[in-house]
Amino acid sequence: MRRHNPILATCASFVIALATIASLAQQPLDRTKIPPPGPGPVLHVPVWTKTQLSNGATLIVSERHSLPLISFTITFVGGSNQFEPVDKRGIAAMTSSMLTEGTAAKTGDQISDALQLLGTNVNASVGGEEGAIGFVSTSTNFEPTLSILSDMMLNSTFPAEALDRLRGRTLVNLTQAKDQPTVVGAQVFAKVLYGAAHPYGQRATETSIKAITRDDIVAFQKVYYQPGRAIITIVGDTTAAKAKAAVEKGLAGWTKAGDKPAFNYPQLPELQPAKIYLVDKPGAAQSVFNIGLPGPPRNTPDYFALQVMNTILGGQFQSRLNANLREQKGYSYGVNSGFGYGRGPGAFRAGGSIFSAKTNAALIEFMKELKGIGGDRPITDEELQTAKDKLIQGLPARFASVAAISNSITTLALQGLPDDYYQNYAKNVSAITKDDLVRVAKKYIDLSHLAIVIVGDRSAVEAPLKATNIAPITILDLDGNPVSGGGSSSINK
Amino acid sequence: MNNKRSALSLVALLLTLCTLQPAFGQKAAPSSIKIPYETYKLPNGLTVLMSVDKTTPTVAVNVWYHVGSKNETAGRTGFAHLFEHVMFTGSGHVPYGTHDKLTEGVGGDNNGSTTNDRTNYYENIPSNYLESALWMEADRMGFLLDTLDFAKLNAQRDIVKNERRQSYDNQPYGRVSEIFSAAMYPKGHPYSWPVIGSMTDLSAASEEDVKAFFRLYYAPNNATIAIVGDFDPGQAKEWVKKYFADLPQGQKVERPNVTLAKLGVSKRLVYEDRVQVPRLYIQWPTVGMKNEDDTPLSVMGSIISGSRTARLTKALVYDSQIASQVFAFQVDNEDVGEFQVVVVPRPGHSLTELENAVDQVIAKFVSEGPTAEELQRAKAGLELGFLRGLESNLGKANQLLDGAVFHGDPGFFSTDYQQTLAVTAADVKRVAAKYLGGNRIVLSVVPKGKKDEASKSTESETVSLLLTGAKGDN
Repeated sequence: MRRHNPILATCASFVIALATIASLAQQPLDRTKIPPPGPGPVLHVPVWTKTQLSNGATLIVSERHSLPLISFTITFVGGSNQFEPVDKRGIAAMTSSMLTEGTAAKTGDQISDALQLLGTNVNASVGGEEGAIGFVSTSTNFEPTLSILSDMMLNSTFPAEALDRLRGRTLVNLTQAKDQPTVVGAQVFAKVLYGAAHPYGQRATETSIKAITRDDIVAFQKVYYQPGRAIITIVGDTTAAKAKAAVEKGLAGWTKAGDKPAFNYPQLPELQPAKIYLVDKPGAAQSVFNIGLPGPPRNTPDYFALQVMNTILGGQFQSRLNANLREQKGYSYGVNSGFGYGRGPGAFRAGGSIFSAKTNAALIEFMKELKGIGGDRPITDEELQTAKDKLIQGLPARFASVAAISNSITTLALQGLPDDYYQNYAKNVSAITKDDLVRVAKKYIDLSHLAIVIVGDRSAVEAPLKATNIAPITILDLDGNPVSGGGSSSINK
Repeated sequence: MNNKRSALSLVALLLTLCTLQPAFGQKAAPSSIKIPYETYKLPNGLTVLMSVDKTTPTVAVNVWYHVGSKNETAGRTGFAHLFEHVMFTGSGHVPYGTHDKLTEGVGGDNNGSTTNDRTNYYENIPSNYLESALWMEADRMGFLLDTLDFAKLNAQRDIVKNERRQSYDNQPYGRVSEIFSAAMYPKGHPYSWPVIGSMTDLSAASEEDVKAFFRLYYAPNNATIAIVGDFDPGQAKEWVKKYFADLPQGQKVERPNVTLAKLGVSKRLVYEDRVQVPRLYIQWPTVGMKNEDDTPLSVMGSIISGSRTARLTKALVYDSQIASQVFAFQVDNEDVGEFQVVVVPRPGHSLTELENAVDQVIAKFVSEGPTAEELQRAKAGLELGFLRGLESNLGKANQLLDGAVFHGDPGFFSTDYQQTLAVTAADVKRVAAKYLGGNRIVLSVVPKGKKDEASKSTESETVSLLLTGAKGDN
């Protein structure tokens, strides 16, 4: 199944021809034979143009005329980690939501009705290291929708009553999040890994949401939505010239300002010896696992080796973790692992939801696999080949829709990757060896410093976890703070 | 990849869909509303659908079996969904693991899903792997039982129990859909149990029970296969013939005779959950997807919730601000349907207050019906929604299959589109009065120990459910 071998591909079509003849001759079908693949399809990476606008924004246009659709996105380099004051965490998301609440020309209701009549919706959001505002529309409705987006981004009036309403809704969402064991697990994991002083360990809280004023929002909008850090990506049924003209007209009022932020993160807190952090959720039917530690940024030279390694460890259904904990042991509906990447030290994380009564047994298996990938359980030729095939042959799916193409192209600009990244992808993945995999597994999955965060029913799981002797246990509350008297047990490894 | 092999939580799915803005349009159907396809039947009864689209060098293979949880019998529930799992564990000539290797392992993916009405299995693959996908689908249709033994069944039962813990028991508000199924339909009614079934039934099922279910419902005459994407139809037809034609036809499948829910009286229920924020759910019995009232009911959903100026959203979330979120939507199954309203309160506002506010908005809507502009807005997104669906091979396959399996016409998407465009204000007003004026079930989900937070708590009956083996039972 090495579909990149042209000789084998020829053989494959020959076998198909033979099979057809055989069936014509009414011979019984041998169903045990796996039909070989046909010749591999040629990868067509979409082409795009990239120009610098006079206001400092980058404009990327990729044509695709198969359907009358256009995807339009403005992506901003830098996000809440670069632009939010620590005591006003949540202001970026709040500001982007406030863009729908009315402009000098239109009320929030009028904006909503106008977009609904155009059959689309403008979505604005800000994540940790990037923000975006955009839409997908029919090609007919592209320009009128762009004009509404422009009005929202540049002329919002931020009514005070709308801020109060949004704040109220956000507070309800924060309360509801505490009931979600998976959300609690992710939040506590981030806090344990990065601490409160690092942006990766911070998030919006009740206190920070309550501290945000209308003036803060007005100021944030001015500082953040600037063309100097913007990548405008247009994909679909248009041309580079038409798209550029539409942008120059639609965003005419967006004048030169701003630049790309530096991604200077503070020093990480000192790595702690491996420890179990148990968050009590009385009566929980499952224990939610997050195991890991801070990892490398996206631009690490080890990226391709890490991708292949993680595919084998926990990046697919047939990965070692899922095959063991779900398929063989039946402890879970599914477990996985991955790297967070980004511009800073995104986390390596392995985890999933585990049947409460198997919490201890599952931890033993997680540790076995994490150790195994570092050399204890040698990687087979088949594992290596399947992981590479999966990654390389999965490329076309990244270009399957206008929104997917937009995302795949924008990522390159955002992460500072070369324009021929996808053309060289297969070569880079193919070059990875088993030695590379063992080296990166050992380097980035440091067993002696893993944080093991488990959200579950303490009364049911603490004693069995202790008995595994894997690491000492600290009890944390739902916000990730130590519970007094909760440092139940210290164990020698 | 983690949520593989599920697609059970209908309510969660619908909530997502609702937040994504429902899609309906106003102009006459544009020429882009089309999926070219061809269809034929093999002598053994297998229906085949093909649609070529060379935009991306990938292909989707999607098999729908016309069997869902409603085909099960009381005391033996959960089989259709259990098979969704078993079908990935290898068959007569396809060893365990091959399925993932030849899909995910070559850059594609696979999954299955189960509803009350049907089960589906699909592969998205690079186009040069079409033949092996057909080989695998044929093998599990024809030879699954060759390798199905007690150990394999048990292993999948355990995984299903974990799925239930993850998707229902450990999920705030995760038990709502099964509470409604049991309250809305009489005991023994095909829609009265949850799709995932009872874990007690699953534990009690014998190997023979399970095998008999498979023999009846997973035969070619109860299946429809769609192939959509970049492939050569002539070649694909040869492969379909090669792998499927000699699979034996099964017994004729009798469709269950399903009656619509008849709620003789309205019910008020309260359920205590491990949540901090209570929620109000109101559900009315309506009709299924084949009934002419289904389309106006769906349009009504997007007029009263979804956008900022939709009736309930405007009144509860924006004007009085007593709610942080509100959703309203028609759920249409093959034979039955329900219209549901979900409200999340803002602090300081009781569920009773919310229920009264919902009633006021609905009473006004029932008496006056929608305005012409409301109707126009509700339909305006239809074209875009449809076009975006065309970007995915799997999405197109599902459109064709839905039409073929439930409406006897693979091109039904186009009829559906026209029917939605044709909905009038009078239609919506009529269905609003007919269904929202009738008996209903009001369910309050409240924090543990706070039954008094239920809407009209003194009139509400407590629902108590057993937890599926938080301890033991694995």
